[in-house]
Amino acid sequence: MSTMDPTEVFRQEASELFEVLEGALLDLGQRPDDRELVDSAFRALHTIKGSGAMFGFDKVASFTHEFETAFDRVRKGEIKPTQELISVALAAKDYIRALIEDPQSTDDVIGEAILDDLRRFVFPDQPAAAVVEVAAAPPLAPSGSKQAGWHLYLEFESHILRNGSNPLDLLDDLCKLGPCFVVPITDGVPFLDELEPDDCYLKWDVKLHAACDKDAIDDVFMFVQDEMKLTLSPLEQVDAPAPMPLFQLLDEEPAPVAEMPAPAVQVAAAPVAAALATPPAAKVEPKPVSKPEPKPEAKRDDRGIATVRVQAERLDELMDRVGELVIAQARLTQLASSGSDLSIKMIAEEIERLASSLRDTTMGARMVPIGSLFGRFRRLIHDLSRDLSKPVEFVTAGEDTELDKTMIECLADPLVHLIRNAIDHGIEDTATRSANGKTEQGRIELSAVHSGAQVLVTVKDNGGGLNTARIRAKAEEQGLIAAGAVLTDHEIHQFLFHPGFSTAQTISALSGRGVGMDVVKRTIENMRGTIDLSTRPGQGTTVTLRLPLTLAIIEGLLIRVGEGRYIIPLSAVEECVELTAEEERSRSRNFLNMRGNLVPFLRLRDILSVDGSPDQHQKTIIISTGETQVGLVADAIIGNHQTVIKSLSKLHSDVTIFSGATILGDGTAALILDVAQLVALAQSKVEKHISEAA
Amino acid sequence: MSSDVSEPKWSLRLPADCSIAAIRSVYDLIREAFGRQDRLEIDCSSVDKADVTSIQLLLSTARTGEAQGRPVVLTSFSQSLRNTLRRAGFASDAMIDQHFPQKKDGV
Repeated sequence: MSTMDPTEVFRQEASELFEVLEGALLDLGQRPDDRELVDSAFRALHTIKGSGAMFGFDKVASFTHEFETAFDRVRKGEIKPTQELISVALAAKDYIRALIEDPQSTDDVIGEAILDDLRRFVFPDQPAAAVVEVAAAPPLAPSGSKQAGWHLYLEFESHILRNGSNPLDLLDDLCKLGPCFVVPITDGVPFLDELEPDDCYLKWDVKLHAACDKDAIDDVFMFVQDEMKLTLSPLEQVDAPAPMPLFQLLDEEPAPVAEMPAPAVQVAAAPVAAALATPPAAKVEPKPVSKPEPKPEAKRDDRGIATVRVQAERLDELMDRVGELVIAQARLTQLASSGSDLSIKMIAEEIERLASSLRDTTMGARMVPIGSLFGRFRRLIHDLSRDLSKPVEFVTAGEDTELDKTMIECLADPLVHLIRNAIDHGIEDTATRSANGKTEQGRIELSAVHSGAQVLVTVKDNGGGLNTARIRAKAEEQGLIAAGAVLTDHEIHQFLFHPGFSTAQTISALSGRGVGMDVVKRTIENMRGTIDLSTRPGQGTTVTLRLPLTLAIIEGLLIRVGEGRYIIPLSAVEECVELTAEEERSRSRNFLNMRGNLVPFLRLRDILSVDGSPDQHQKTIIISTGETQVGLVADAIIGNHQTVIKSLSKLHSDVTIFSGATILGDGTAALILDVAQLVALAQSKVEKHISEAA
Repeated sequence: MSSDVSEPKWSLRLPADCSIAAIRSVYDLIREAFGRQDRLEIDCSSVDKADVTSIQLLLSTARTGEAQGRPVVLTSFSQSLRNTLRRAGFASDAMIDQHFPQKKDGV
């Protein structure tokens, strides 16, 4: 059993936090007044900082601390999260991510420049160099002789250090509010034998001489409030100035400023502007104020107890084992059915039921909500929208739709291409949109929905739609079609997926090389999926990706053609009919009459070059992709089969009508028919037939 | 905390990382050293990373030594350790002396 490197655990957790942070920042751009988003971003930053320090990522902790300090003004409502600020904050997030994932690629100069930008937005009235000091300066106490303050007692839960929280950082933050006198309470520290080295035993008694209100103190402990006991009571008002720190009374050499509680003399030197911004003195409450019970929604998330983080490769391994089990179970079922022993048959049925259940459970464990993928595109759209000066609203739906994790990984690239194309080519510039009576802001919708055994992922824009005439002209120019050839719009649009095909007049950093859509098509087809494309001039384009739920095990329909056996994915099968004697005899006819609709069919014996005479009663399996139906004629239908998909070797990479292979119960192999390729083949035959007839 | 600061027989130098990331191994090191000798001198000059856990471990060590009559002496506090102690509220050398028995020339 391999164990995960703790720093790797941190990297993974940080990766999730970056998604949260990025999502919150992007949402803030849309809803700048949403307090929960600010808190969410701040929590993510705080956790990254704490965990970074804990796992030895000192640069991460230090940079994030600066980021957090600057962002604190947003949290306090002192400045608005403008689009410019969000962009800089996103750049800061990217820099932290680079510090964690590829520190060699980072440069301190860039990091400092990002922080300078951040400070410039957050502290617009201050020269950049002065900003840090001002940010660290505590709020001023009133200059009069009456000085209010707070007496705090801090006791943390024992596990708090293991969560990445650092009480010393909290004490530092507290000291920023004003002169603090921190007294550690060491009574709880046990003898060595009873010591749990990473438990927290120290408690603190703090006197804070600052006229801040209680909320400011609560803010300091905001993220640990559920894991600590905080008792607050107002300090008696005194006539004397705030006392000097103890080390000064003892006439000792002070520690560096950054490490010290802020002394009173520093407070007096702070700018007047800061003094004016100081919140009024808190009301003196008659009795100590205990921390109120946290609200139910603020309770610590206990999902960690109910979920376990598992390495992806272990899930893959588990799926492989289940696949082998399903194959072995098929062999047992076949063996049992050929014998007459009832008890063996019963056991075989039981094993079949269990294997099927185990397969479903394992596949369920691999399912990931597609929302985790959608989140990535928000940043892409934000950046493209800014770079192309095309304001775009990004709408997502169906984020909870689950898909096999491998599919999610494979889907990222095609969706990037589709979204880039939608913004670059689909959405018009604001002037054109206004001229056409549209809103200046374009709209891109990304949605996912289950449809039977498939998932439909749709990218829809409300741009200008495809320019069919231009696509056709380009196809003719490239010699893909003869000038004047009769083609439907649908057929013309398919050229977009042709390698090297692009209607863009200039090649930009985003698109124009004609590679993107080709990649989309190949990737989706490798996933046994299909692409539907529809467009309405002036109203936009919709691209729908139809994908199977999983790439590992499918329900298949086992058929026989000659001596060979083949699998058709059951999700594509609509119905099975017997070929009539007339249809069987007529070799020139390739259409079935299905309740009044003509459906083209393919004789698999011809396609697979099977010798010998066909069975007497041929069967037709009607399959479909999208709205297109095709019949496949086979000698016999054997029945349902749980199909563990095995990839074909590279030697067979040019055999397009098969998408893989599987092992049957008797140990022989069966090839899996590629439905999309067969439908395309049937369509080309239909077109040929039509052109011949014409 | 007063302590009999007589000459120690065995010295242990703490590693650079005494933060929570490495505190369990430091804890094992100290316990092992405790098992070997009656008197223990702990050299803190190399400590580069310290946090609450380091402070607690040193406090516990000193307290255990005193309770068992096996003097523990801490020497040569690094600046990093001093800073951490000050952040935790051990704001003066006098206060540090009070909680951590030190060899006079090592302070």
